[in-house]
Amino acid sequence: MRILSQTGLSLKEAQKTEKDPKIKHMPCSSFETTDLSLFVRTSEEDLTTWDRGKIVEALIRETYVDIDTADKISREVEHQIMSSRINVITAPLIREMVDAKLIEHGLERARRMHTRLGMPLYDVDQLILHHNKENANVPHGPEATNLTLAENIKKEYALLNIFTQEVADAHMRGDIHIHDLGFCDRPYCSGQSLEYVKRFGLDLPNALSIAKPAKHPEVLLAHMVKLAASLQGHFAGAIGWDAVNLFFAPYLSGLSDRDVKQLAQIMIFEFSQQAVARGGQAIFSDINIYWEVPKHFEDVPAIGPGGEYTGKTYSEYIQDAQRFAWALFDVYKEGDGSGRPFFFPKPLVHITEKFFNTQGHQDFLLHICDVASEKGNTYFVFDRGETAKISECCRLSFKLKASDLIDARYPWKMRYCALQNLTINLPRVAYNAEGDEAKLFSLLTDLMELTAEAHMQKRVFIEKLLSLGDRGPLALLTMKRDGEPYLRLQRASYLIGMVGLNEMVKIHTGKELHESKDAFMLGLKIISHMKLIADRLSKKHNMHFVLEQTPAESTSYRFAKLDLKHYAPQANDFVRGNIPTGEVYYTNSTYLNVGATINPIDRVMKEGVFHPLIEAGSLTHIWLGEAKPPKESLANFVIKVFKKTNNDQIAFSPEFTTCTECRRTARGLNPACTYCGSEKVEGITRITGYFTKISSWNKGKTGELKDRYRSGEALI
Amino acid sequence: MTSIKFFWKQDCPKCPEAKQIFNGLKEKGFKVTDYNLNTADGLAEGTYHSVLSTPTFLVIDDNEREILQWRGDVPTFEELFAVLMSHDVKPQCMC
Repeated sequence: MRILSQTGLSLKEAQKTEKDPKIKHMPCSSFETTDLSLFVRTSEEDLTTWDRGKIVEALIRETYVDIDTADKISREVEHQIMSSRINVITAPLIREMVDAKLIEHGLERARRMHTRLGMPLYDVDQLILHHNKENANVPHGPEATNLTLAENIKKEYALLNIFTQEVADAHMRGDIHIHDLGFCDRPYCSGQSLEYVKRFGLDLPNALSIAKPAKHPEVLLAHMVKLAASLQGHFAGAIGWDAVNLFFAPYLSGLSDRDVKQLAQIMIFEFSQQAVARGGQAIFSDINIYWEVPKHFEDVPAIGPGGEYTGKTYSEYIQDAQRFAWALFDVYKEGDGSGRPFFFPKPLVHITEKFFNTQGHQDFLLHICDVASEKGNTYFVFDRGETAKISECCRLSFKLKASDLIDARYPWKMRYCALQNLTINLPRVAYNAEGDEAKLFSLLTDLMELTAEAHMQKRVFIEKLLSLGDRGPLALLTMKRDGEPYLRLQRASYLIGMVGLNEMVKIHTGKELHESKDAFMLGLKIISHMKLIADRLSKKHNMHFVLEQTPAESTSYRFAKLDLKHYAPQANDFVRGNIPTGEVYYTNSTYLNVGATINPIDRVMKEGVFHPLIEAGSLTHIWLGEAKPPKESLANFVIKVFKKTNNDQIAFSPEFTTCTECRRTARGLNPACTYCGSEKVEGITRITGYFTKISSWNKGKTGELKDRYRSGEALI
Repeated sequence: MTSIKFFWKQDCPKCPEAKQIFNGLKEKGFKVTDYNLNTADGLAEGTYHSVLSTPTFLVIDDNEREILQWRGDVPTFEELFAVLMSHDVKPQCMC
């Protein structure tokens, strides 16, 4: 019997449709088949008898080939299986055999549509047994394995089904890196307002119970932590909270200092011990803290217990806000039960002109500098002039525009997201330009345009998921408690990052950024060019494309490895780290060489020159090593950075060794415990933006750690 | 040699007026260069000198120090000329 699908394409015609994506397949219901004494292990955990018709069904359902072609391929596969005299075969193997036949017949697009996503047995075995170090914030365990396995499938899915082949190939080659492909069905990072949960309580789609607005600070904290955990399931990256100490303040009136500190302690422990959430991964959480009441919140009516307006403005809560900020840093200074720094939530203190005009700022600055020196937690975020922003992740920030400042009257509306993050491999652009500057800028423009395409493709996919509303996978982001969807897609930004500017200019000029003014100015011209192209693309596509210093925890390692493979021997001269041991990397984003002996203030000034061009966030690290500079010295440094440079954010990073035997923590990275002598120790320091155990770092980062120039002594 | 740098943008309302001053300085024989912040070269130079608003005039000495500056504001030609003279910033040639 010969049954044609409605498309009725012969093999020859089907081959033609490879070039015509508009042609779709049509379903078909019955086929000829040959029974074999063969059993098939199916993906539905069943052992069934051989049925050639299943191949035909799958080809008709999933691709555009006609019934005749499907039938022909199924017979060829059947013949091959019969000839092998095999007794049991798995469905995945049959699919692979069918795919091989599709390739033989030149039906590549059909083969792509028919692809089975999955992993080799060996790889799964390795994943279950060994730690995946792509993200140092993911511990090793069964939950982490589930996360990694799911991520791998989604990565393949994204590259086949969300992005075009041009974009996917650029990622696979290492021209660009699409971050968090394993979380392709959610946005990247987000900035949140505590006011949402204060006003609306915890009323989430699919929740088993609904909580009214909190009446007590502990309950508000519980709501905040639960919402953060829910959001972690809907965003790939960080969950940042704006002005946390200020928005908690109306709940703190009348509480003793002891109770305020207790609340601060619960908050920090709750966030830092959430290693039971997604894949055993602690929520990457940030809390923005202000000593002053930010100008845009000064006259805003405060929301207090029960979600009711208190009749006061936030300006009237400054003392309670300051008490809470102080208490939080008391807790950070003490560290955890072993005296280790807390990894999360990261505290980001905004330093503004108003900060310096607010009573008590000197003491608070010394307090947070004390914590920076002792434990390293404090992020110093510089908001100069009229700038206001929400910071989070390793350095991401959402700069508030005029419309956002109007929203500040209703702070629960202040919810922001970056939909996706893409990074360009700058050294590779320089290899390909072969010393030709015009070519270098032209290639860079091409890649910027490709990243815009990739962002649009991701946006289309997310819009599709959001359009499913409360029955879709992103129901939480579509809830409309305040009349508009929780995820305000129209305000989303689309990040374009860079890795290896330092190596790019070295390849092109022979000098690194810090070695000559010409090299530095070329670097500045490259980032200026990227900013102008991002602005042009934003206008063209009506989307907000912005540059960000990509944290590149694993991307700088990936790019370096790929370039050593594809651009050898040239790349051997420019990739950093240790090539024989595989601990290789490119310098992150627009940073100067991490190993160069540069005075900390010079580094902050020079790196800060790039920061105004990078709207979505930049940071300079000051690696302290073992040194513990006096708080007064750090405070003077912070004031100087604010007043004399354009640097966006700085963080001081000490190093620690914690003993798993005696549970004590010492300064510096030591091979053995300085207290009990045990060699069962863990090194801890900042990897990109957060502190974590060095044993969980990828090889690229351990290579960078060995190269880091510790400049803490210069601050003593 | 002391030089004058003039930074402007295409969509800046005060820049056409400042451009006339730039032309006047040029005619007087001052060493003066203009940078369009809508180009990569201009934006790089502007960023290097922390130019956040336009129009901006900077007077740079031999050691690359900014000895005079007008940021986001347009002086009259006479004002600017007088300040330059008082700081001993002279034209290269009286063209």
